[in-house]
Amino acid sequence: MGLIQREIEKQGIPTIGISIVRQYSEKVRPPRTVFLRWPFGHPLGEPFKTAQQRVVLAEALRALYVIQEPGAIIDLPYRWRREQYDDRDIQNILRVVPK
Amino acid sequence: MNIDRLKNKLISKVITRFPSLAKRFIASYDPRQSLDVPWTPVTRALDRSTIAIVTTAGVHHKDQGPFDMKDREGDPSYRVIDLGRPLSDLMITHDYYDHADADKDINIVFPVERLREFEKQGLIGHVAGRHYSFMGHIIGRHIPTLVNKTAPEIARALKNDHVDVVLLTPG
Repeated sequence: MGLIQREIEKQGIPTIGISIVRQYSEKVRPPRTVFLRWPFGHPLGEPFKTAQQRVVLAEALRALYVIQEPGAIIDLPYRWRREQYDDRDIQNILRVVPK
Repeated sequence: MNIDRLKNKLISKVITRFPSLAKRFIASYDPRQSLDVPWTPVTRALDRSTIAIVTTAGVHHKDQGPFDMKDREGDPSYRVIDLGRPLSDLMITHDYYDHADADKDINIVFPVERLREFEKQGLIGHVAGRHYSFMGHIIGRHIPTLVNKTAPEIARALKNDHVDVVLLTPG
């Protein structure tokens, strides 16, 4: 995934990747990454848990504006299946995003 | 189904259920260390940006040919996902991760309905009409094809579609 991300960024489009294997991201070094220690096949979480999926999506979009150092990885704090998600968190997560 | 595919599917189920076993699987793939990092600054506000997804989760339309699961080095080709078509028309071909959950709700690997909600709420500008999908697990001789041919091809297509931001999701 990171190799594809790098090629898109090279062509002039900013990219953000969601990673579930931190060591791949460390080696391949895509420009911007949010990392979750979650199982394969679940980068946005569990089926039909829309608040969870929206929180991860918002975190990824936030990272686009927060990451200033090329190759940075943001470790997201969410534990697998041990968090409560609320749609009200979305505005807070995206608070830093410029209008 | 041949024995290799059965084996890969079994391994993918086991490592999804028991993440501690995934460490060995992860260590078996050792990507080359990159030194430089490409960089394009983000200049457009999120609520005016058009966003596309590029996934390596093996998503494709049912009438598109599936990814090649017999080649041990994977498949560097891609599929164009057209959002003008119903989401029920999408499926996943990928033996290297357990997509039973993603088969129930594609948004956990390809969060297009969540992006549509963000668009409706005005959090993002637009969801792109076309998205792109690969099968992960591309190794060996297919890496040069990916890096020199298919990945730059979709990058140019995204440019032509006036996409401002690309979100990448794995399988």
